[in-house]
Amino acid sequence: MLREIVRRLGHLGRTSQFERELDEEIRFHIEARAGELERSGLRRADAEAQARREFGSRARSNEDTRSAWQFRWIEEAGADLRYAVRSLRRSPAFALTAIACLALGIGANVLIFSLVDAVLLRSLSFPEPDRLVTIWFIPPNQSGQKAGTNALAYVTLRDHNRSFEYLGAARLDAAFNVGDDSPGAAPPERIRAQWFTVDLVRGLGVNPVLGRWPNGRGEDSGVVISYGLWQHLFGGATDVIGKQLRTDLTQTPLAILDVTPAGFELLNPDAGLWVFQSDQNLRSGAYRSSNRIFTLIGRLKPGVTLDQAQADLNSLMPSLVQEMPDMNRGWSIRLEKLHDTYVGQIRKPLMIFQGAVFLVLLIACANVAGLQLAQASLRQKELSMRAALGSSRGRIIRQLLTESALLSVLGGGVGLALAWGGLRLFVNLSPGGFPRLGAIGLNPTVLGSTLLLCLISGVVFGTVPAIQISRPDLMDVLREAARGSTAGGTPEKLRGVFVVAQVSLALVLLVGAGLLVHSWLRLNMVQPGIDPRRLITFQVPFPRSLYNASGSSTPAGGFQADLNPRIHLLSEQIRARLALVPGVESAALAVTPPLGGVPRRMDFQKEGQVVAPGQQDNWSAEWYPIGLDYFRTLRIPLLAGRDFRPEDKDTGAPVVMISSAMAQQYWPHENPVGQRIQMNLLYDPPREIVGVVGDVRQDRYQHDPQPQLYVPRAQLPLKMDLALSQAIMLTNTFIVRTKADPAQLASALRSAVAEVDRTQAVTNVRTVEEYAGGQLQDLREYVALLSVFGGISVALAVIGLFGMMAHAVSQRTNEIGIRMALGAPPATVLGLMLRQGLVVTAAGLVIGLGASLILTRVIQSFLWGVTATDPLTFALVGCGLAVIALLACYLPARRALHIDPVIALRSE
Amino acid sequence: MSQDLLPGTLYMMVLRTLAAGPLHGYAIAKRIKDASRGDLAIEDGSLYPALNRMLVKGWLKAEWGTSENNRRARFYRLTPDGRKQLEQEAGDFDRLIKSIQLVMKSA
Repeated sequence: MLREIVRRLGHLGRTSQFERELDEEIRFHIEARAGELERSGLRRADAEAQARREFGSRARSNEDTRSAWQFRWIEEAGADLRYAVRSLRRSPAFALTAIACLALGIGANVLIFSLVDAVLLRSLSFPEPDRLVTIWFIPPNQSGQKAGTNALAYVTLRDHNRSFEYLGAARLDAAFNVGDDSPGAAPPERIRAQWFTVDLVRGLGVNPVLGRWPNGRGEDSGVVISYGLWQHLFGGATDVIGKQLRTDLTQTPLAILDVTPAGFELLNPDAGLWVFQSDQNLRSGAYRSSNRIFTLIGRLKPGVTLDQAQADLNSLMPSLVQEMPDMNRGWSIRLEKLHDTYVGQIRKPLMIFQGAVFLVLLIACANVAGLQLAQASLRQKELSMRAALGSSRGRIIRQLLTESALLSVLGGGVGLALAWGGLRLFVNLSPGGFPRLGAIGLNPTVLGSTLLLCLISGVVFGTVPAIQISRPDLMDVLREAARGSTAGGTPEKLRGVFVVAQVSLALVLLVGAGLLVHSWLRLNMVQPGIDPRRLITFQVPFPRSLYNASGSSTPAGGFQADLNPRIHLLSEQIRARLALVPGVESAALAVTPPLGGVPRRMDFQKEGQVVAPGQQDNWSAEWYPIGLDYFRTLRIPLLAGRDFRPEDKDTGAPVVMISSAMAQQYWPHENPVGQRIQMNLLYDPPREIVGVVGDVRQDRYQHDPQPQLYVPRAQLPLKMDLALSQAIMLTNTFIVRTKADPAQLASALRSAVAEVDRTQAVTNVRTVEEYAGGQLQDLREYVALLSVFGGISVALAVIGLFGMMAHAVSQRTNEIGIRMALGAPPATVLGLMLRQGLVVTAAGLVIGLGASLILTRVIQSFLWGVTATDPLTFALVGCGLAVIALLACYLPARRALHIDPVIALRSE
Repeated sequence: MSQDLLPGTLYMMVLRTLAAGPLHGYAIAKRIKDASRGDLAIEDGSLYPALNRMLVKGWLKAEWGTSENNRRARFYRLTPDGRKQLEQEAGDFDRLIKSIQLVMKSA
């Protein structure tokens, strides 16, 4: 059988040779016979004629011979295809509408699927990625939170676990100023950097493209640069290993040890620089610091499951508690596949969008199925004729399915083009932090699934109409053809079902989009507690090398930092100078821009009070080290006590200010002003509360204002944890309130900074309103995407409804003519026509509302201030869709009124 | 070679004819006609579709050669598969004919 197919396939490649040879062979046959007859005494002409007669029809013989070699079904499929092209070209309006509907449905699916494919399905580019695991630490009673751990716990777990081949640690939060040390090189740039231990890269199984990993015993001092940084700073030069790179991490330049492969990213796509943490470093300095600054990533031993590793690490938890009871009591460990860590945030929105576009495709399919039914009723006679001429029902169904497949492939082609354009747009406008963006594209997987999607949707929207259409009772059709049709039969009812499906699915999408819009509106109404208008901010990152008291840092980034007191002077000088710029009302200094950063939290207690173990979570507040004029500049009201004064510096009495929410929570019945609190991270003396200010919602998604602590920056201790000093002392965010448009002042502010210190760079110039908008960016994107899908689905449903009504009116022209001739008033006729549309719309709305009640739960976690079954949203969206649907019914129904009975009846 | 033949017998006759050695199409037709002493009503045109179907099935092989009067002609010869097919069909056919004869005699 197989060899037979191979022989037939071989034939396909030499059909013209075959024709030539067959011709020659038959000519030979006839001439040989004629020669024989001539020899037996016939005249030449008679002999030839008789030879031909004996041979029979040459055409039929050739045809039969040819067909011996052909695949019958291919031939028939080809014929079906040619026929399908012809019949689509005969009704271009139908074909174009159907192709447009499918293009939207398939295009949206391809677009989202290519994101899903790149982000969720493609595994990490590390060998055996399934064995890579992230180890998170979960705080007591807060299973939603994930944290890292400290160096001591890392070393304990690394040295005593039995499940991991390698267990590495990384610090993912740091940024340095980095420059090439060679003369004439470009000025320093700020590069995101990460620390990690050599076990980490060994565990990941990554090999450097240049150089080698250090052995981790501490004698290698240097940095690893990313492929991108290598290209950017050194133009990809191969002699880069050993070159000196100046960073503000250490006084002396660091040698470059390795270059990582392109596409190597570790939880932060922007990271360009890595510093190795040797065991010696780990055990120095803040070995026992309770800051959870390390994220642990390990490679499981072959054959060890996630559950076994989880149990193994759980059994080590008691020793962690024993080592540092305050830090670890009540905490638990949770293992997670590294892939999930990468895509954790984006997985759910992507799945929701995939679901949404799938609904859009279903609507498109229902729409095209309806169109095909309508189209088929116009072709009823043609199909009956074919059946009468002997086409089997299966043959007719195959013909109709070929048309569907052709439609869906054409629609898929256009959809692919749409998706390609959409992807380009998406990558260009990409929201920050979208993981693995480089992997997005139309690759074979995506193209293959597009083709599959086309064929499946072709079958979905083609089968039901094909079965329905191919079942006509021949006599019925002929009779109907004789007297013109009246009310719709089964296909008409079926079409109604398709429209009900479209309306209900569109309603589900619209309700989802409506709930997000509603959340967004509510979030926009949240008062942040500051006046964000005409506030401009920028950052001046002080390089640590300049302001570090000499000799205090360990070679590869130890943990203790001693800061030069000049830091306080310099930042205050800049702030004071900014306030003098013409057009500036006032200037303030903070760590992060208002509404633009993640607040740091600080544990505290009332002076002399001992917080019970496990209760410390209740004694923590957001804290903000700030300069002078902060509250005046941001327009945060002072509710009690006094503002900070210039005297509140290192030589003055330690002071603190608190927010109104903090005052109410911790001193509900007393005056907080004059009370003293102890802050745990700074190990400095207790501070006196001198004032209470209004609440600020740094994070708009917060429902309740958080307790907040404000500390004068000038009173921060100069010895502190390196990471903390990086984060709060070297990052200066200046906030300036201007009298007019802040954008016009940007250059004046830059030169004011340069006047104080020409070596300082001004970065991240943005308005506070931009930051405020940025907070809602994710939600805004979700709202936009779901609204687009909702809009498409409504448009499709309207096309479906409109088409059904228009078709019904044209089918019933006779009946309407008779009714009007018999004196039916226009309102009755209109009502008659509308009734069908109304029934379908109402059914669609009821089913859609029911489905929405169940389905909107999946977007619950993206909603803010509204429940997933918010009655107001449901009502508004339902009414809105009802109005649109009625219009879609009314416009075609009105045409019935313009029917002239005489013409209608004569057209028989 | 037409409707008058039992289905499939044309294949068998062609196979039988070629068992002696390769022949071109005209020679096959002539042999069959001569052997049946002209009793079989044969339309020569239906020989070639049959030959091609047997080529597809792999019972025959065809190659170009030179005819007895030095013309280029296409020669068909049996493949081992074709020989096996001939043995099987001839056996089947004998049994069929015998049973038909038995029925005809006893009726």
